[in-house]
Amino acid sequence: MEMNHYKRIWLRMTGAFCLLITVPVAVLVLVTSSSLKDAAIDKLQVSLGRLIEHKKDVVALFLKEKEDLLTMLVGMYPIDFLGRQANLDRLFIAVNKAGSIVDLHVIDSSGKQLAYVGPYAQSITGKNYYDSQWFQDVMIKGSHVSDVFLGFRNVPHFVVAVADPLKTYVLRATINSEQFNKLLLSSQIGWNGESFIVNREGTLQTPSRGGLTELDAEDKALLEYHEGTAMVRREETIVATRWVKDSQWCLFVKAETEESLGPFYKVRNDIILVIVSTSIVFFGFAVLFANYLLRRLESEDRKRAELGHQMVQMEKMATVGRLAAGIAHEINNPLQMITSQAGWISELLPDEDPALVKNIDEYKKAIEQIRHHVRRAGAITHRLLGFSRKISAEKQNVQINDLLEETISFVEKEAGYNNVSIVRKYAEDLPVTMTDGPQLQQVFLNLINNAIDEIGQGGVVDITTTREDNNKLVVEFADNGHGIKPENLKRIFDPFFTTKEPGKGTGLGLYISYDIIKKLGGTIAVANRKSGGAVFTIVLPVINLGASR
Amino acid sequence: MREFTVLVVDDEQEFREITVKRLEKRGLKAKGAESGEKALEVLEHGHIDVVLLDVKMPGIDGIETLRRIRGLKPLVEVVLLTGHASVDSGIEGMKLGAFDYLMKPIELDPLMEKLADAYEKKRLHQEKIEQAQLKRHMAMPG
Repeated sequence: MEMNHYKRIWLRMTGAFCLLITVPVAVLVLVTSSSLKDAAIDKLQVSLGRLIEHKKDVVALFLKEKEDLLTMLVGMYPIDFLGRQANLDRLFIAVNKAGSIVDLHVIDSSGKQLAYVGPYAQSITGKNYYDSQWFQDVMIKGSHVSDVFLGFRNVPHFVVAVADPLKTYVLRATINSEQFNKLLLSSQIGWNGESFIVNREGTLQTPSRGGLTELDAEDKALLEYHEGTAMVRREETIVATRWVKDSQWCLFVKAETEESLGPFYKVRNDIILVIVSTSIVFFGFAVLFANYLLRRLESEDRKRAELGHQMVQMEKMATVGRLAAGIAHEINNPLQMITSQAGWISELLPDEDPALVKNIDEYKKAIEQIRHHVRRAGAITHRLLGFSRKISAEKQNVQINDLLEETISFVEKEAGYNNVSIVRKYAEDLPVTMTDGPQLQQVFLNLINNAIDEIGQGGVVDITTTREDNNKLVVEFADNGHGIKPENLKRIFDPFFTTKEPGKGTGLGLYISYDIIKKLGGTIAVANRKSGGAVFTIVLPVINLGASR
Repeated sequence: MREFTVLVVDDEQEFREITVKRLEKRGLKAKGAESGEKALEVLEHGHIDVVLLDVKMPGIDGIETLRRIRGLKPLVEVVLLTGHASVDSGIEGMKLGAFDYLMKPIELDPLMEKLADAYEKKRLHQEKIEQAQLKRHMAMPG
């Protein structure tokens, strides 16, 4: 029960300490981690935004460069010049040093192809483009950039076409997408990042690294027109979109957050490691602290219980003492009457005529018996009332060690018969104290005699004196006998309590000892030794009136 | 043994009576008084040598009675007798000049002894005073 009680307290304390430590730490970890993650994602978004802006410029610049080239050419050369195959051939070689232009067409305003230079001359020559959408576009707007298509050659490419200012003809160039693609591929973020262009229908204009051929529904939903860069944050990815090329193409840049958050995770793991290890250290301290508190608590409780026990014992002894005194008094008066009346008879008897009183001797004997038993009873009540003790109101300086030595000299012979040895362990610096030497000696004698009676042959009585707290003397009488039964420990000082055989003891010795020590301002207590046997402990105050010694 | 007068003061009638009877049988003069007041009255009007005084009595108790006896008849010796545990009152009694302090139950022989001792003390005391008075008397020129 007791153990459980303390165990519960311990558990509660440790639990409370742990909560105190772990809750704030956990909150700290969560908050830090989430804010760190947010910061990392924000950073990612910012760099994504910058990247897409840059790519937009690159794409626009690339397209514009092609468009400008064609615009310059149509501005420089009239239809008559470029309509001739030989001229176009030469021009093609001149402008296509980079190799990004696959072929060049020259088409008049009626859609008829006038000249062509490129690898597919046979299949294209003589074609009429008038009905083509792109041709109409160019004729209206002056220029056109197509979506990417595989065309006849099954190679992705797109077309840039420009009309001369008078719209008399159109110069059309097919651009190799490969170069264009390279520009985008270099702008990917992370290993699994994506960067590609789609047209309004969601068809990919440049290859995706992940092998996408078509946008999924989720991405298609992003194909709403918007100004500037739009950023969408999904569970695992962030998608940035930007419309380019007069809103015909949409530039997609995707980054996987998990992958991009690598540095963040590293920092977070470090933080968690530090926090967890400090938590463990704190937890250890908490356990130690709880243990410490519990030990304190336990010893305080024990002290209080002991004190309570002493108080109860003292109160009980006071009550018992008063009771015993009252009874003794009530008995003394009748005893007086008995002895007086018996005495009276014994005084009158000699006046009788012996011849008339047959049993005169018996009467005399009976009277003597009555007086004997009254004396016996009187002896007990007198002892109980402390009256048989010498009234020595005078106290004097007593050296307890000397007093013990004197007392031992009285009993040493008897101890010798019983083969009991008395071991003295005196404190050498024991101060003298003002007390009643003869009464104290009676107590010592009592305790030593009890010990000798108890242990019998071959026992050892340890008598120890120590000084405590500077103003107390402690005298211990310890024997190595059988000890005192636990149920008797509480009653051992009660008057008439005895464990000796009937008639061998009155049960007053320890009561009187208790009474004397109490009157001298000290305490007497009994306990069983762990090694067996009992120990009586007397604590006396050191009383030092003026000139000691 | 010289004959002297003892006053037995005790609130218990039986004790008083038997003690008076027995003392008289032993050849002393004895009287009884059931209270302190009564004892003082007897002392004032009669001749008493030794008082056997119970400590615990209704009315004025033994100690107070003793104090008044001291004032009234300083030469009278007082022996305290009680059934009580009051060591303190014993000490108090001795301080007030009681001859001794006895504890019930007590048999007649030791009691007689104490009373005789008390009377002896009183007698010696009285003798001294008488001698002193005689000396003074003689020293005075006729």
